[in-house]
Formats: sequence, C-alpha cells, structure tokens
Amino acid sequence: MTTVALLGNPNTGKTTLFNELTDKYAYVGNWTGVTVEKKMGKIKHSEIEVVDLPGVYSLSPITKDEAVVTNYLLTNRPDLVLNVTNASQLKRNLLLSIEVLEFGAPVIIALNMIDDLKRTGHYYDFDTLTEQLGCQVKATNARNKEGLDDLRTALLQGPQPTGKKLQLTYPFMIEQAIRQASQQLVSDFDLTADFARWLTIQFINQNKSIRAYAKHMQLTPLMSQAAYYDAQKFDDQIFQTRLTFIEQTLNQASENIASTSHIQMTAKIDKWITHPLLGLPVFVGIFFLMFKLSFDWVGTPMSDLLDGFLSGPVSTTASHLLTAAGAIPILRSLVVNGLIAGVGGVLVFIPQIFVLFACISLLEDSGYMARAALVTDRIMQMIGLNGKAFIPLIIGFGCNVTGIMAARTIEQPKERLITTLISPFMSCSARLPIYSLFVAAFFPRNQALIVLSIYFLGIAVALGMAKIYQILFNVKDSSVFIVELPQYHLPRLDIIWRGTWDKGKGFIKKAGTIIFAGTVLIWLLSSFGTSGLVSDIDNSFAAMLGKGLLPLFAPLGITTWQVISALFTGILAKEVISSSMMVMFHTANQTGLIAMMARYFTPLSAYATLVFILLYVPCFATIGTIKSETGSTKWALYSVVSSLAIAYGLALIIYQVGSLFI
Amino acid sequence: MLSQTAITPTTAPLHIQQFTGLDEQTVQRLHSLGLTVGSALVPVRFYPFHGPVIINVNQQQIGIRYTVFQTLIGGD
Repeated sequence: MTTVALLGNPNTGKTTLFNELTDKYAYVGNWTGVTVEKKMGKIKHSEIEVVDLPGVYSLSPITKDEAVVTNYLLTNRPDLVLNVTNASQLKRNLLLSIEVLEFGAPVIIALNMIDDLKRTGHYYDFDTLTEQLGCQVKATNARNKEGLDDLRTALLQGPQPTGKKLQLTYPFMIEQAIRQASQQLVSDFDLTADFARWLTIQFINQNKSIRAYAKHMQLTPLMSQAAYYDAQKFDDQIFQTRLTFIEQTLNQASENIASTSHIQMTAKIDKWITHPLLGLPVFVGIFFLMFKLSFDWVGTPMSDLLDGFLSGPVSTTASHLLTAAGAIPILRSLVVNGLIAGVGGVLVFIPQIFVLFACISLLEDSGYMARAALVTDRIMQMIGLNGKAFIPLIIGFGCNVTGIMAARTIEQPKERLITTLISPFMSCSARLPIYSLFVAAFFPRNQALIVLSIYFLGIAVALGMAKIYQILFNVKDSSVFIVELPQYHLPRLDIIWRGTWDKGKGFIKKAGTIIFAGTVLIWLLSSFGTSGLVSDIDNSFAAMLGKGLLPLFAPLGITTWQVISALFTGILAKEVISSSMMVMFHTANQTGLIAMMARYFTPLSAYATLVFILLYVPCFATIGTIKSETGSTKWALYSVVSSLAIAYGLALIIYQVGSLFI
Repeated sequence: MLSQTAITPTTAPLHIQQFTGLDEQTVQRLHSLGLTVGSALVPVRFYPFHGPVIINVNQQQIGIRYTVFQTLIGGD
C-alpha cells in the first residue's frame, strides 16, 4: 500500500487539506498542536494511505509533539511526502521543506492558502520553483477546495520525474564532514546514501532526536565527531546556507500580479481582540457569551425538551411494553428506573454539551485561540507558565484527557508537567450534567452565572496550584513563548460541525458504554444488599457505603448518603454522577430529582457540593492520561490525592464560612 | 479568509541586531520562523507591565516576550 506523509508548519491548513483529501476526517483547528498524534486516512476512492503528522517548524524538535514527526521519519519510509506550506509565508515554510527534501523521499509541495498570496499582489512561477526545489509544486486553497483535484491526481499518480533532486551545497568544511560521515554510515551501517546524508546533516545541525537515535544505534562516525561539529558552529552555517538558497529561489520565482482589493478584516478585528487593555475583558466576554449560549439561550431549552421526551413518552411506552410482554417487576425496574432514567438522564445534556463544543470549535477555527494565548500570557507568566498553557486548559473544558495531551506543545518539561497536573481542575464537559441539575434546582434565575463561577473557580485553583508548583519545582522565568498569530478565517460550518462532533461523539459513545455499565452497576448496588434483593433502598450496598462516609461529608453540607454514593461512581466517569443520583433517589425524570434534592440541600450546601464535584478525583481516563503523559504512576497518584484534599478543603471553607452569614 | 495584512504598525521598522543572550530553544524557534540578524521587524503592540509584544516580520505576526524583543533589537 502506498503511504503519503502529510507534513508542514502549523497554521498552513494541513489538517483541512487532510480532511478534504481523505474519507476519514481528523480534528481541524487553527491552533498549533491540534494534531497531537499522527492521524491516518485513505484518499477517497483509492488505497493510498495518508498519515497526518503534527505541525512542526523544523525537524529539530523542541516540543513533544514535534518529536513525533522526526521519529516517524526515522522509523518509516513514506512513498511520498506531501509538504503543505502557507503560500504567503513561503520563506520560512521552505526551511522545513529543505529538511524534508534532503530526507530523500519523493516530495510534492502544496502552496496552500494561495488566495492570500494573490491578494498581496505576489505570485510565484511554479516552473522555477519546481526546477529549483527538484519536486512537484502545486497551488491549493483547501478551505475553498481549490486545486484539490489537481493535487489528488498528482498523489494518485505517485512520484514523477522532476529533474535533479535538491542537494544544497554547504560550506566546504561542512560538505567534507557530511561526505566523510555519510560514506562510513553507508559502508559500515548499511544505510542508503540519501538517508545517511540526511542523518548526518541533521546530526550536525544539533537535532536532539537524531543525536539520541545516533547514540541508541551506536553510529560512531557521527558520535565521534559531535564535539568538533559543535565547536565549529556548523549549525549556524547550515541555517544561513538554507536561508540564502530560499531567498535566491524566491527572488527568481517571484512575480507581481495585480493585487485584489481586500478588507483589512484581521487588522480591524485585532484592533479590539488583541488590544493591550481590552484584550482580557474581551476574552472574559467571549467566554461569558459561550456559557450564555450553552446554558441559557440555546442549550438548556433544548435539553428540557429532550428530558420531557425521554422521561415522558419513552419511559411510559417502555414500561407499558414491558408490562404487556409480561416482564417481571425487577426487569421493568432495571429498564425504566435504571437504564432509561440513568442513561437518559445523561443524554438530555447533549444539547448543552454540543453547543459548548461548537463554541470552542468556532474559536479554534477562527484563529482566536492564538490570541487568547497572547492576552493571557502576562497573567500566566506570574505563575511560571506562559500563555500557551492556557490553550490546553481551555481544551480541558471539553475533556481533560485531550487538554492534557494538548500540553505536548509546551516546550519546557517542567511547564508541561505543571500544565498536566493542573488540567483536571478545568471543568470538563462531563461535569456539566450534574452542574445543570444543581443550578436548575437551586439557582434557577442565575444558572449561567453560577456555572460560570464554578468554571472560573476551577481556573483560579489551577492557577494557584501552578504558582505553588512554580516555587516547588523552581521554574525559571525564561519560558519559551513565541506564538504565531494566524489570520482570521471565516468560520466554515462543516469544519465547526466536524470539530463539535469529534469532541462530542465521545460523550455519546460513553453513554452507550461506560455510563450504561455504570448505571447497571449503580442499580445493582442500590437494589441489592446483604440479604439479597431489597425493597427498601436504605438497606442496599450503596446505602451502606454512603452512610459509612456520611460523617466525613457532613461538614461540607452533604447530609444524604445517596449523593456520596453517586460521587463515588463519578470516578468512573463524571457523567455518571447525575445518572447515579436518578437511580439512587428512584426518580424517573429531572423534575422529580430536583424536588427530591430540595429536601436535602440548601443553596449554600448545593454550591459547596458543586465545588467539591469540580475539584475532586479526576476520572479514570484522566488519571490514565496523566500516567502516560508523565510516564509516572507517582504523578497520577499524586493528582488523585491532591485534588481530593483541595476539593474537600475548599468545599469545607465555603460551607462553614458561608454558614456564618447565610 | 477575511484579510491579509497585519495591524497597522505603530512604529518604524527596526532590524534584528542579535540573538545573543537568548536561550537555545528560543533562538531555534525564531530561526524556524525565518528570523535572522538583519531581518526587518515592526513592533505592532506592546502589552502593559512588560507583557508580550506583537511584532510583524516577513508579513507574519508573532507574539514574543518583552525581554526577547529587547534582546533582538539590541537593548538590555
């Protein structure tokens, strides 16, 4: 099977191109690091496999996701590399192209976003580019689907003869070093001439992944010369040689065309969005709007409609059908009180979650996320992080797992660790169902405001903990913070929908798997006790567990065992908390549960409980991701213990101090 | 795509004087973005309290730390 590796700088429209070319789609975003792992797809109506690699500025990795690309090239030999570039920033994009061309595999360079280039009144002679770079060069505009047929045809045809392959001539001393080392690598290590030359250039250029590879493979012709290469500062000369070649090539290929009139929309938007003083209030305003849409204006009314449908016609029809079929009462109870109430109780929150995800996808696709990193950098700097850490945290609003994985774009290991550890404090969408339930019950007039306060409390705790970690880990202030500001894009509905679906499908899938299983488990625990099937839930296993822990939770204002048992199940997946409560309280719909909760909570104890739910133990999936990303069980365990202690402490303070005044 | 150009620059172009004093990773990333000694640089926005600076280089906008900006233009 033919394999095409898709490779390019961030913000070149690479993932959009991948989605247009392939049957399967990957997550699309306008923020560096959206592709945190390589993704696979097949070109439509063909057997050609496309590997979408994370966006990188160079093959010398600084971040963890950048290392994915270099490691891919070290361990795979793609039949073709599709190098996607931003046509209007070709100078710096070609720095990566040269590294790719030197790798030796056939390359097609796509000059994407070609319309932007034309608007500036510039264009390139493609024959000159093809001749100079020694590969096919195609013009595309993936967002408008322009040039895609031509590119697809070129990919289906495979590598075509384009004349001489690119081989830059570096200064004499470097060429001599490359020749000597690569000859030995070919003869002693059985490497191909192309690969040996590429490996040597990358090694000389102080590529850390390549140096680790050389050490691992015991490539003595390179290892023995490392000190000499570094002392001669060959890396600087390599950079200058490449830059000179690019400038000469672009000068030769450059053409002037009539520039089309264009509105300076990015400039106009940025006048407010990145304003030194207004940037932060705008940031807060955008998030407030997002929450109003999700909880007040669109999401909640739709959720109410769905709840009415599931708890009304669906539940009643199922009960009638089971009775008519002669099902035994316990089976009817399992289906109606267990599954429909439990799983349905989670499914009703789909509208709210999807509206929130649509908003996040819109921000990602428009180009706002990079601005958010910029306007929050000064605040993040105070706690030893940089604005880039804000993005994984925002993504954590969707799901902590993806948020933690997005932290791979952060350069410094200590900052990455801190971001990983504070990510679970960001209120993921799985916690929304239980928030919605509480605010509907106790704060009906201020639902959005209360939920927003919980979200901001999560951010505040995350930032506070980051500051403590900064001191504990002795993080220096010299953080790498370089963020590219892409131009704004007119949001495309299909991309927004794909992003929303990609984030939200996991929620629906979980409803059918882990929440389903969790609900059955809860039903079993609440229907059986030491004496077998119990008619009174107070004698069930769930009641025993909850009652045993009640004295511990009473200082937080939690006075009923049902809530404690439900919190336990939340470690499985946070969505399960609300469905567990449905089952524990033996109610069939949200209205019934709200009425039941009103008997056990005051607004103050409800808020303290919400704070506890926000901060206590991360779900299993998040704990697993912390372990895999930090490579340490210790940090995963630490996360469990520390978050539980913080949740308990804060909920205790809120309830106890609040009780003095209310 | 809505537009092409950047925010109207607030000051005249400067030129990158040096990378000396910057850490290795910052230099590598700036090089990868096509920045080199002599590159024209236009500061676009300065954030308060020595927050980040938006610069315009090679028709692209990049946000960098204030200390990095100072080093690039030969200050500090």
